[in-house]
Amino acid sequence: MRDLAYLRPRSTGEAVQLFARQPIGARYFAGGTTLFDLMKLGVEAPATVIDVTRIEGLANIDASERGELRIGALAAMSEVAEHAVVLREFPALSESLWQAASQQLRNMATVGGNLLQRTRCAYFRGSPEFACNKRQPGSGCAALGGQNRGHAVLGGSEACVAVYPGDMAVALTAFDAVVDTLSPRGERTVPVRELQRAPGATPHLETVLAADELIVRIRIPRGPVGRASTYHKVRDRESYAFALASAAVAVQLQGQRVADARIALGGVATRPWRATEAERSLRGLPLTRAAARRAAELAFTGAQPLEHNAFKVALGIETVTDALMLAKDRS
Amino acid sequence: MATTIKNTPRAGTERVDAHDKVRGATRYAADDVRPGLLHAALVPSRIARGRIAGIDTAAAQRVRGVRAVLTHENVGALDSGGFLMGGGFGFQSVYPLRSAQIAYRGQSVAMVVADTLEAAREAAALVAVAYEAAPFVATLDAPDAEPLAQTAVLPQPMFADRRVGDPEGALAGAAVTVDLRYTLPAQHQNPMEIIATVAEWDGEGVLTVHEPTQNAEGVRHGVAKQLGLDAARVRVLSPSLGGGFGQKNSLQSHTALVAIAARMLGRPVKLVMTRAQLFHNASFRPASRHRVRLGADRHGRLLAAIHEIDQQTSRHDLFPSMGTEITSRLYGIQNFLGQERLVRTDVQTPGYMRAPFEHPAAFAFECAIDEMAYALDRDPVALRLANDAAADPLTGKPFSSRHVAECLVKGSEMFGWARRTMAPGSMRAPDGSQVGWGVAIGTYKAAMAPAIATVRLRSNGTVRVAVGGHEMGQGMRTAIAVTVARALGAPVAAVEILLGDTTAAPQHLTAGSWGTATALPPVQEAAQRLMDDLRLHAGAAAGEAGVTALALLRASGRPFAEAESRRRAPGQPEQVFGRLTGGLPAAAGPVYPDFVGFSFIAHFVEVRIEPTTRRIRVPRVVSVADCGIVASPRTARSQVEGGVVWGIGAALREVSEVDARYGGFLNADLAEYVLPVAADIGRIEVDFVGRPDTRLNALGVKGLGEVAMVGVAPAIVNAVFHATGKRLRRLPLMLEDLL
Repeated sequence: MRDLAYLRPRSTGEAVQLFARQPIGARYFAGGTTLFDLMKLGVEAPATVIDVTRIEGLANIDASERGELRIGALAAMSEVAEHAVVLREFPALSESLWQAASQQLRNMATVGGNLLQRTRCAYFRGSPEFACNKRQPGSGCAALGGQNRGHAVLGGSEACVAVYPGDMAVALTAFDAVVDTLSPRGERTVPVRELQRAPGATPHLETVLAADELIVRIRIPRGPVGRASTYHKVRDRESYAFALASAAVAVQLQGQRVADARIALGGVATRPWRATEAERSLRGLPLTRAAARRAAELAFTGAQPLEHNAFKVALGIETVTDALMLAKDRS
Repeated sequence: MATTIKNTPRAGTERVDAHDKVRGATRYAADDVRPGLLHAALVPSRIARGRIAGIDTAAAQRVRGVRAVLTHENVGALDSGGFLMGGGFGFQSVYPLRSAQIAYRGQSVAMVVADTLEAAREAAALVAVAYEAAPFVATLDAPDAEPLAQTAVLPQPMFADRRVGDPEGALAGAAVTVDLRYTLPAQHQNPMEIIATVAEWDGEGVLTVHEPTQNAEGVRHGVAKQLGLDAARVRVLSPSLGGGFGQKNSLQSHTALVAIAARMLGRPVKLVMTRAQLFHNASFRPASRHRVRLGADRHGRLLAAIHEIDQQTSRHDLFPSMGTEITSRLYGIQNFLGQERLVRTDVQTPGYMRAPFEHPAAFAFECAIDEMAYALDRDPVALRLANDAAADPLTGKPFSSRHVAECLVKGSEMFGWARRTMAPGSMRAPDGSQVGWGVAIGTYKAAMAPAIATVRLRSNGTVRVAVGGHEMGQGMRTAIAVTVARALGAPVAAVEILLGDTTAAPQHLTAGSWGTATALPPVQEAAQRLMDDLRLHAGAAAGEAGVTALALLRASGRPFAEAESRRRAPGQPEQVFGRLTGGLPAAAGPVYPDFVGFSFIAHFVEVRIEPTTRRIRVPRVVSVADCGIVASPRTARSQVEGGVVWGIGAALREVSEVDARYGGFLNADLAEYVLPVAADIGRIEVDFVGRPDTRLNALGVKGLGEVAMVGVAPAIVNAVFHATGKRLRRLPLMLEDLL
């Protein structure tokens, strides 16, 4: 069997220092729901696993600050989903978590790890002879000429059209959440919206984080806009499936008119996709279904369908429209 | 979707193995942790066709804990186990490691054995194989894929065209005709329990194989042939399967390799396939294409039908297509032609996935019947009732029993069909969803196989039943326990039942819905003979009303008593027991000397389709089955519910995806192969006609497990048409089909 070093730091500082001392090939490990899966598939082969689950205080959900909600990176998906403040102030976030994976996975998986979930593209996960620039840079992209029903219509490149699979990051993107990270070079803050890179010519570089950089918490600005929000997810079955199209949507109305709107898309793009043009188009307007649909169409401007996924544009437009009307009902 | 409380208390005796299962006490082959156990892992081919040019196992050998790496160069003597449909024992005729040839992607090219599973899998990944690739055909639609007329390539009567009357002439003269084409994908059974094998040799050179199989006798004789052993030196154990659905119905191509490794290393060896390997190393439902032409007069009498089927097979085997065996019997159509063609592709040989031919064939035919109903402007139930068959159109023989009309009438009432409005798109739910109501019928042959049963009663009150049959979760143990307990006046808990054990009784293949009709009659007869024998020896006690077998045994003073029964299907000769004990298929039906035997079902389905994102939901299904007498109400109902869930999966979810550039199957895991989940399933109401079929056997039972699924998919697709006005003729229906 393949040997690997297993390290168990007690603090975030110790964790990043341990990482820095490893030769290449270390990985942080929390819930393991993605990492172990990809290790079994041979996609990931870390020489060292740094288990951060024993670090104290990293699983707290802290709602004591009026300005922001702080969620420790080790909080389980299920804990965040059922947290009273999340349910009240960010229903879209709660729903994005409930609609992801299964209860067993949600109990194991952490929110920090979930942000970094890797794509479900069959060519990426499949055996090594499939061309995949993400898995083997320079090998090509089998999905472009292959089975690409599930792939991205937004944000793809000649090198990669794999969909970012997560749900929670889509909701966090709508809410302008940020992540705090720690590395041997110190702390920094990255907007969730900018965490995932566009694939461009280097799809193997998935996030802006350095390999040794550890997500320690998520921070979400608190305000009125989150309360009338929803996460609407359409997929091939009613549970335990990745999105064909999803939308995290929030609206704040003043009288009948839209004061603020947030629209983020999942299942259709290579990264969590904020539709700012669409949001702008709604401001100051009564939120009618026609207005919602025009905004939804704007969100898919520039979509580039592949052989099997053209339906995602039409589906995405319906999904965003429905989501906006659901959010309106909550305002 | 609304939550429905479905787990209301059920009629009938509870499953005798339920408590063990929910406690995790049932032992499956993969659970084996016997002392000294070694672990095996397979190395899959990375090409779809060609040959191994070189194989380097040095790196694999160096992995700590590796005991052996078997390849075609070092495996030694390894005979073929043959093909089930060609006089052999296996699901296919290719047995990996017998040569350097690669017949399909994922074919095993080596097997590693190590002290731990981790070491075995790590070493398997390090086996370096050089390939010489050859051109291959991945799908039915490939330019090089050529349909072969089955009647020419398999010149046996059972595989021939089914022709009666003058179908071409009657079609040409019909006032109303439809001509339609349907497409179904490859699918995989995906039983919860993955295929696993444990092989161990004892000091006397006797091999014991513990493997989940529906055909322990076939595995026994197949492995014996492959290893050049007397079958008496092989024992196969398959006491409980975590689902089979046809994927475990014959000798697997790796079983003998595990036995060879165990012999070579002098230790027990266990192989557990991965889920991805299951997609490539075991049988599956082949893709198929159908063309259905129907002709009717203006009064709605069906005059002619021509049903043509192209079905995928492998390059190395001809897996027969049998779809028109049932579509020729759905109605009393006097001019019928069924033609089946086989298309060779470079895959492992496909096989018998639940209702293997009947589900695809009924999908095509019953959707075409619905189209005909609309062409005639006739209610789809009324059209079906008006065209019921009085006798078998193909042979002219009577049906042993046929109550499909009663299924339709009873189902209509339960479903509320009378409230349906005919026009497509005419029914709406309060939330704006389109509502569609669809119907379809299904049928499946009532087959039976020979079986030998013994029932032994001991003076401590325990009853031991041994019979040929396999418990796959369908509830055979429960049906047997109920039957024996009733006959002997014994508690169900006192009955121990040996199934799937080749040393207890000959273990014929359990498949084709013949399990209960095969095992129960001899069990019932043996129990009755035991009672007769006990009465003979019990003196005065024999005359007491309601006396139990145990009381009689104790009155006789004997320590135990035993009786046996041997039963075979009507018309089968005594020599059929030779096939039974030789591990060969020996089932009879549906055509018997004096009648034909079929089970029937009618399904009524409601679909609701969202106005915007067009998701299709199935909030309720009503299914009424004619399976003769219901042997075990609780497990029978469960069988039908499971069949309906399978039909929902087949209609709306499941497809084994192929990338024609690579071959093999792309979505080879349970996250990406979209099986229905509980949230996809609404209310399922099940009822039975319940009339005994005593022409078929003394107990009056017909099969149920497969007919349950037949007709579900067309009922769903017909309901989608009724909701939307759109005819969809390719399964599974995808969300984008209605956008």
